[in-house]
Amino acid sequence: MKKRSIPIAFLLVFVFGLLAVQGAVAQRSRLIFMTAGDVNMLALGQNVFAPGFTAENPGVQIITIHTGPGNAGSQTIFEKLLAEKKANRTVSDVDVALVHEIFMKWAMDEDLLQPYAQKTNTWKYVTSPFAKTTLGVNVEGYAMPLFQSQTAIAYNPDYVKNPPKSYAELKEWVKKNPGKFGYNGIKGGASGVAFVMGWVYAETGKYQKYAVTGPFEKSEVNSWEPVFKDLKEFNKNIVITAGNVGTLDALNRGEIWMGPVWVDMFFTFMNDGKMDPKTKLALPEPGMPGQPMFFVIPKNAPNPDLSRKFIEYVTSPKVQADEIVRRFNWYPGIDGSALKGSIPQDIYDKIYHDVTPADLQKKGLAFPLADYYSAILEAYERWAQ
Amino acid sequence: MTSVGSRSLGERKLPPYIPLLFPAVAFMVLMYIWPFVSSVLQSFLVGKGQPSLANYVKVWELYRKDIVFTFGITLFNTALTGVVAVIFSVYFRIRQNRISALLSAIFKLPIFIPFVVVSQMMNSFLAPHGLLNTALAQLGIVNLEKPLQLFNFAGLSFGFAWKQIPFAVLIIHGGFQMIDNSYIEAARSVGAKMPSIILRVLVPMNKSSIIVALVLVYSQIIGTFTLPYMLIGGKVPTTITVDIAHRVNYFRDFGVANALGVCSYIMVLFTAAYYLRSKIREARQEVSG
Repeated sequence: MKKRSIPIAFLLVFVFGLLAVQGAVAQRSRLIFMTAGDVNMLALGQNVFAPGFTAENPGVQIITIHTGPGNAGSQTIFEKLLAEKKANRTVSDVDVALVHEIFMKWAMDEDLLQPYAQKTNTWKYVTSPFAKTTLGVNVEGYAMPLFQSQTAIAYNPDYVKNPPKSYAELKEWVKKNPGKFGYNGIKGGASGVAFVMGWVYAETGKYQKYAVTGPFEKSEVNSWEPVFKDLKEFNKNIVITAGNVGTLDALNRGEIWMGPVWVDMFFTFMNDGKMDPKTKLALPEPGMPGQPMFFVIPKNAPNPDLSRKFIEYVTSPKVQADEIVRRFNWYPGIDGSALKGSIPQDIYDKIYHDVTPADLQKKGLAFPLADYYSAILEAYERWAQ
Repeated sequence: MTSVGSRSLGERKLPPYIPLLFPAVAFMVLMYIWPFVSSVLQSFLVGKGQPSLANYVKVWELYRKDIVFTFGITLFNTALTGVVAVIFSVYFRIRQNRISALLSAIFKLPIFIPFVVVSQMMNSFLAPHGLLNTALAQLGIVNLEKPLQLFNFAGLSFGFAWKQIPFAVLIIHGGFQMIDNSYIEAARSVGAKMPSIILRVLVPMNKSSIIVALVLVYSQIIGTFTLPYMLIGGKVPTTITVDIAHRVNYFRDFGVANALGVCSYIMVLFTAAYYLRSKIREARQEVSG
């Protein structure tokens, strides 16, 4: 008799435990947060946003779902929302999503999002032009940037005393120092893509048309042949590295003296002790592209008020200063002036030392409009390879 | 399920194996054959589904170098893997002592290491100022100002060989173990030297497992993404897999991606057909013999 009572007791405890847990969960509301990006975005969601938001809003549980790096990660989120639309689902599974620029074009075309940004109490801090149009698509009200990542040229000051101030100077430098400049082509990560976009802006001088005003014209594409033939010549004197990290590694091992990098990766490497602290950054004329990641709320999000509250939390000056700038080394998604006093001077100085806020204002460019973006990549394959 | 089995087609009843086969066949059709067929179909569609050869035209214009490169690197590495794996397997078969046992145990390790780890390893090992070059520089063989450039065909081949030879050895060595010692002794007693024992006794008797190993290695190399991506991702030429990822990630262009896929199916089909034919021939020989 006694023997049998023990398992029964266990069973009872288990069942009551389960009921208790379920009760607790039922009381709490859940917020499904889907994010594209590298694994650091998962860490950001799980270890930073979720505990921080739950501490301020007890009873809300954040579940972070990570879909993978680059455009492919954003594409997964887009396909999920598109599938919901095609299946005529009235309530989406997703409360908030964090996506790349190209997602905005796809999602706006399919009408998958709801306008929310003006209703948030942090909208007043958002001054980035990316929050109005991105890749030529009007996104105002539908998207708020979490951060801005920027590409720049990293260089080793031991070998490079006077870094090139423009793409034209860089061309000359490469001729004099063959094999000492490296980038990762266009298939090995977006720092190489950004470098190529900057090249096209520099050679054509048509940044405004390609990235801001449009329209897309086929004749423009045909005019690029000499631009890319020139790049092909340039490529003969440089090294193609093995990816975004490959460029940083090659700089660090002294294989190359100069190369385009993502600024946030650069500072993260430096903070982790994986990068020679002497290494510096420069933004050559006319500038290089950067991109934000955006928060969006699906059209049929189950709790739009809660979703908005979450976005207000992560775009608040405090979280932007502590997490986005200090911990992850991105440029903030909201106006830098709102962070004054929130960031210690030494960190502010480090991040804005080589590339000043004024540089960013002038030379922190956007990626081209979606049609030009694709056309440039394909022109590279056609003429520069 | 039983109701399907007992339902009659006209006068005749369905043979009982049809319902039994149904789950397996349905799974195959749904999970393998349908995606394959739809991939081939989509490669002939552009825009909103108009049939066209435009995808193949683009593949020809932009990626023919990469297709040749992929085919070249696959053939070269399959041959290299075959030769080296046979040599090692023969060694493990003929010298059976502690050293060979230890070696063959160590040799199995790469089989369990995922490709992405191998890629990262090769990345830091083969880099211009990586482990290999700095070690050679210490020995005075290489000048670090002009190091060996290995992020290319050579380095990629090294990576594939490192990963695939142990796998091929596992299969081929297993085949050699099945050959009775008496054959080797008989050959020796009529005066055969080691090379002719290998080429005229061991290899012919073990032909089927060698072919299995080569076919598997061949199709794995064609389909590998991580190693080429992490070693020569942005270079020209690169492999088909990197191009497919590029088309999908940057353009959402499944048409050209599928057309590239079809090129790799054709490369694989050609070995699969050879493999099947030789299997059928073997089966016939067994029946008649």
